[in-house]
Parts: sequence; C-alpha cells; structure tokens
Amino acid sequence: MKPLRQIAFVLEDFALQTPAQQLLDRFLLGYRRAGGFHKVEGVEIACSRAQLEGEGRVWEAETHELHWRLAYGGLKFIGPVSYALRDAEAFVVVPKNDTTAPSEAFLTAALTHAQRGAACFVFGALASNLAAARTFSTLAAARQVTLASGTTLPVTWRLPQMDLPSQARVAEALIVVQGASPLAELHALDGLLPVLERRAGGERGVRQVKFLSGRELWRAGDRREWSWPLLAAALSRSDSPQGDAILDGRTQDLVGLGLVPKLATNPRGWLLEHTDGVRTALLVLDGVVADFNFAVRLADGSNLSAQLFRAPVPGQEHYSRLAAAMEDFFRTGTPPWPVSRSLLTAGLLDVCRQTAAQPGVWLRTPELTQR
Amino acid sequence: MSCDATLSRRQFAGTLSGAAAAPFFAPSFSTAAPRGSAKRKRVALITTIVRKFSHGQHFVDRLLEGYGWHGEHHTSPLELVSLYVEQFPETDTSRERSRRHGVRLCPTIAEALTLGTSRLAVDGVLIIGEHGDYPRDAKGQPLYPRFRFFKDVVKTFERTNQSVPVFQDKHFAMDWREAQETYRDAQRLGFPLMAGSSLPVTWRIPAIEIPLGTPLVESVGVGYGHHGYYDIHTIETAQCMSERRAGGEVGVQSVQAFKNEAVWRLLGERESTRKLCLAALNRSQTLKAAPGYTFVEPSVEHLKRVSPFAVAYVFEHLDGFRTTIFHFNGTGTAFSRDTAALNDFTYAGLTQRGDVLSTLMFLPMPPTMSTLANFFSPLVNHIERMVLTGQPSWPIERNYLTTGMTLFAVDSLFADGAKLETPDLRIRYQPTPGPHFWTG
Repeated sequence: MKPLRQIAFVLEDFALQTPAQQLLDRFLLGYRRAGGFHKVEGVEIACSRAQLEGEGRVWEAETHELHWRLAYGGLKFIGPVSYALRDAEAFVVVPKNDTTAPSEAFLTAALTHAQRGAACFVFGALASNLAAARTFSTLAAARQVTLASGTTLPVTWRLPQMDLPSQARVAEALIVVQGASPLAELHALDGLLPVLERRAGGERGVRQVKFLSGRELWRAGDRREWSWPLLAAALSRSDSPQGDAILDGRTQDLVGLGLVPKLATNPRGWLLEHTDGVRTALLVLDGVVADFNFAVRLADGSNLSAQLFRAPVPGQEHYSRLAAAMEDFFRTGTPPWPVSRSLLTAGLLDVCRQTAAQPGVWLRTPELTQR
Repeated sequence: MSCDATLSRRQFAGTLSGAAAAPFFAPSFSTAAPRGSAKRKRVALITTIVRKFSHGQHFVDRLLEGYGWHGEHHTSPLELVSLYVEQFPETDTSRERSRRHGVRLCPTIAEALTLGTSRLAVDGVLIIGEHGDYPRDAKGQPLYPRFRFFKDVVKTFERTNQSVPVFQDKHFAMDWREAQETYRDAQRLGFPLMAGSSLPVTWRIPAIEIPLGTPLVESVGVGYGHHGYYDIHTIETAQCMSERRAGGEVGVQSVQAFKNEAVWRLLGERESTRKLCLAALNRSQTLKAAPGYTFVEPSVEHLKRVSPFAVAYVFEHLDGFRTTIFHFNGTGTAFSRDTAALNDFTYAGLTQRGDVLSTLMFLPMPPTMSTLANFFSPLVNHIERMVLTGQPSWPIERNYLTTGMTLFAVDSLFADGAKLETPDLRIRYQPTPGPHFWTG
C-alpha cells in the first residue's frame, strides 16, 4: 500500500450529475461499497477547476459551487493545477461533461505538474487519438506517473451478473449503445473491450475497421458481416425497448418482428476485425432501445449477453463502483486495468472518426495491433 | 441459446418461432414449445383491467408477445386462450390483444375456464387482481376482487370436478377470512397454488442468495408505498430471505405497527434493527439526498429530515426471529411516489455471528427507468414452470403467511400501533432450494 494523504481533482467543469460531481463528492462524502458506506479516511481532497476559453460566467458559477464544498463539504482547497497537484499522491482528471477526453493542453499541464510517482485516473478516454494518448503515456512514464482511464462501464453491474470466462474462445461480439458521436463510440468501446480482453490470448489489437450507416448497416447484417442473432441476444437484455412499448407497454421481439430498422434513427455502426480474427460490431441505435447491452458468441456457439447497468439519477450508483476502483488504484499504485486498453480506445476513437468519412471502406489499422 | 452466425436477419426471424432451445444459465424455462404447437399448454387469465402498465397488461403481453429471457426473446410455452377482464377503460388494450392474437374474451370466469364447454378447457389459471377502479375499505386498502375471482375459479373446478394450477398475483385477499378460505380451498381440492410479488424473483444487486440453513436472527426490509398496496412487496422482500434461516419458517406470533415518531423511537431503541435498516439503505440507489448533492450516507437523522412520514411493522416469529419492515414515504402526509424518500426495495439480514447480508431487489420501474416492467418476466417464467410441471416454485405457505403479515400489519396500523397476537399465523414451512430470483 502506498501512503495516500492527498488526492487532487482536476476538473474541466462542475455541476450536479456530471462525472466531476459524482466522483469528487464520493471522495469527499464517501460512497456505497460492499454493503456499507465507505469513507475515504485520512485523505485530503484538493481541487482545480480549469477555466476554459469563453466560459467566464459558467466558470464563476461552478467555482462558487465548489467553494460551497470548500466551506462545508470537506474540500481542502481549490487552486491552480500546479498548486492542487503539488502534494497530491494521486489525481483525477475529469473532462467537460459529454466529451470523450480532456483537452490535450489541460492533461499535459496536469501531468507536467504531477508529483513523481503519482497515480493518475482520467475519466473517459485518455485522448481522442493514438498519437496524443502515446504522448501522454510517455510523459507520464517520464514522471513515473501511473496512468489509467475509463468510464463507469467497465465496472458497473451487469444484468445478469456475469463475465466472460477467463481464456474463453470468442468468435464474435456486439454492443448496442445510443447517443451522439464520439461519446457513443467511447461507450461502445468501454463497454465491450473490457469484456473481450479476458478471451484466450487477451486483446491483441484491431487490424481493420469499417463504418456503415443507414440501410448499408442492415445489409451488412444480412451479409453476415455482423450478427442479427447477436443483436437479438443483446436486445433481449434491454429494459427500454422503444416502439410499441412506448405506446402501450407491450413486450416485443424487436429483431424477430423486423422492427429494428424501422425504429432506428440515424443508425450507424463500426465493424472491427481484431488481430486474432474476432469480429466486433459497435452499433449506435438511437430509437431502438435506451440502454447499453452486449452479446458475445463463443467459439462453441454459445452466447453470453448482459445489460451494462446505469443506475437511476440522481445518485447514479455506478459511480460508486468506479470510485472504489479508483481508490484501490490510488492506494496500491496498481491500475485497475492496463494502459494498453486506454491506448487502444484512444486509437479506435480516432479510427471511428476517420472511417465515418468513408462509409463502407475497410481502413487498415496496423498501428492498433499489439504484440 | 445456441446461435448460428451464418443466419441472416430473415432466416433468423424465422427461427424465433421454430425449434426449441436449451436453457442458458440457471434452471428456467426457455422457449420450450413453439407458438401453434399442439403441445403448448393452455391458460386462462382473469383480471381486473388491462391497460398500459397495469399488472394485467404485464402478464397478458408476456404470454402473448414473449419477453427477453436468458439472452433471447422467449416465446411462452403457454398459450393464452381466454381472458376475463372486468373493467374496460378507454385505454383498454385487452380487446386489441384479443383480436390480434385470437384470444377469447369471455363475459364470465366460468367461460374463460371452460371455453363454453362442460369441462375445464385450460391447463392453468392466472388471477391478476390489481389496478382498476375499485373502492377502498375503511383502512384504505383497495378492494380488488382477488377472492371473488378465486372463488369463481374454485366453483368452476368443483362443477367440472377438475382442477389445474392457479397463480394469484400479490397477496390472496384484503380480508383474512377470505385469505384463509383461499388457502383451504387449494388444500381441499389439491391444486397447485402459487402467489406473490415480483420482489422475490427480480434482479438482486448484488446477486446474492442466502444459503439454506443460515443462522439468521433478524431481517429488515426497506421500501416505500401506500399501506395495503406495497406492504406485500417489502414483506416478501424480507420473507423470501428469512425463510431460509436454520429451521425454516415457523410462523409469526405477533405484529405491531409504528408510525412517524414511533418509528424513530423504535430505531433509537433497537440497535440491531437500526444497523440492518442502515445496511439495507446502503443498497438503495434512490435514497433522497440533501440539497446540492446527488447521494447521501444513510443515517437516522437524514431519514428524519427526508421522511417524517414513516411506517414500520415489527413481526415476532415463533422461534424468536424478528422481521422489521420500514416504509420511508417522504415529506407528504399521504403516500405519493413523487414525494417518497426512496423508490426501491432493499433487504438486510443479521446472522447469529453478527454478519450482515444485504442486497437490493431491483425493479426497473417504468416509466422513469424503463419502458417495460421486466421484473414481471421472472414471475411469468415461474408460472410457466408451474403449469408445465404442476410444481410451484416456492411453497404457497410463504404467500399465506405474507398475506397474513400484510393484513395484520395494516390492522395494527389502524389500531394506533397496538401489538396484535397472531395465532392464525403459526404457519410452518420449509423453503425450496432456489435460487428463484433472476440470475441468467
């Protein structure tokens, strides 16, 4: 265990029900863990709220909210990044709400001012491209800072509670998410990659990626480039089918009745071919369901599927699961998952963006293969 | 389900009403007999009302449309052949379902069971007496006609000299004598009877089951809701765990209700109960937070602030075991979901050694958290199993006891918290192994 006396939160925004608030308050107040209410004892919490370009009034209001926590909520101090990080053995970087990664200048400043040997958790993606992620990784290594990044999806509860058996042989996988790009892609990757990396041989990277949208997405399914049966398996885990369920509450077989293409608005997806031959589909299906669900087909033909549970607002208790993983990381110095996942995610976010400009074309990604 | 990657969408859709598939995780009924197969067992559903999000709708639609189950869209192995519906508001969906699926909408319960013949024409009966426009009794309990429905079913059984498995939604009745008669009729005629809330069978977060024979000494269930409507949910949340204690269930000897200030005194005086109440609340995902925050550490002081309207029921079991149920109904003087201090159901149990076991019985409740109410899916799956095998998943004595616990608790509440001796609740039973909750 490492001595842990101070944790700094380096925030790009702060408001109720943002990741910044959900995480900072869990380190200030405590959080639900293992059936109790766990307090982060013996640790001072510092904070730095960056002022981004053109957000003067918002910044003032949010800083006011943080000052309230300074006066009454246990926050030790608020200050510039350099000051907040001066004595922190660990720090958390939270990008602006609804963005995938912190601004590069912001994270660079944080890593530059970090104590040697500190632990750094970045909420979301480490960066929005591989080059930047590698730069941060190198900068962190130079300062002996241990890096990890991610959302709540790798650690939230799964319904049902399941995991891919270690060393399982996987043939194909699929995840269904919703939302705007690139956040939807981040959610898809952060939901599925942690499941898949347990397979036999581990994650060895992605060799090519193709983007499809609209009818072409459905046609690709008909051509078996992705699996309708796996989509049915994933959607069977949903608690929020749209369509006639909205009208009168009926349970419907969305795939079997051919409703998915009718319900989907702006359907889009990315097909990933992994280095070991596993095929993955990231489907962004707004209008079909409103929760995140995945399915995996094993080499023996059996399926695994689950919903990635996002707990109700305002508490969003899945943040407690992430806070627990972060605290363990900060106390032990051992990251909750390898930084290679963060690099792959950052690289794939960029590839998803690039391929969206060239629908239907496989983009080879030698930089995303891992040895 | 075994899944063939070579299937296209069209081919795949075709298989959904096709071949049987093996169950994937825990024992349960997956698609066993295809729609239209002569092998499908036939059921009648008797209900008060079928409209969006009524209990009747949840059961009817899962039988007719199927439901997500163990990684596939499960087609029920039961064929819903007849419906008796008592009320038809403008929002009724039973007529549309009846037309679209060819389900006979019957004017009487007898006809729903016999399909107009002189013999019983179904293999199972579901009685869903929840929702609809019915008066309340002097204690504020809704007078849903569960017992009247049940007696009509029993009369048909007696007239035809035949009987089939029956499922009764929630507790048996709003009157203890009616509940006793329900139990005795089932015993007398010897048909399988299963009842209860969806709480014992829904997801648990975390997914724990109490091992049979655990030396539990006390249980606490925490929830919310108007008395007579939701009491059964919290009571069954606790009882499905309590019954697994060493020796099994031996019955309840007394019931006492507490309200508002008396609840805080109870929590102040009983350390183990307070500990369990807070442990259960540490599994809650909806406990109202202080202004400016999104979550809170549970404490009695906080509960007093966010829920001056509180109700507790204490049940003393015959073996010294104790169950306490708390409803933290928030800041109103009458229950409203909007002003309740929480919106979920949690459990904590204490072992002889002092260990605490706790979990959330998770209900993905529409319309805020879902568009369906998928906690009905495991309940329907258990009904399917009972009709196919003739074996209820859990002993009916659980529901007989929880019906009595519910009714006597409300009696105590309306007797200003008088402690009531309950000789009628000396109901002994042994639990079935389970787990019965949703695991796969």
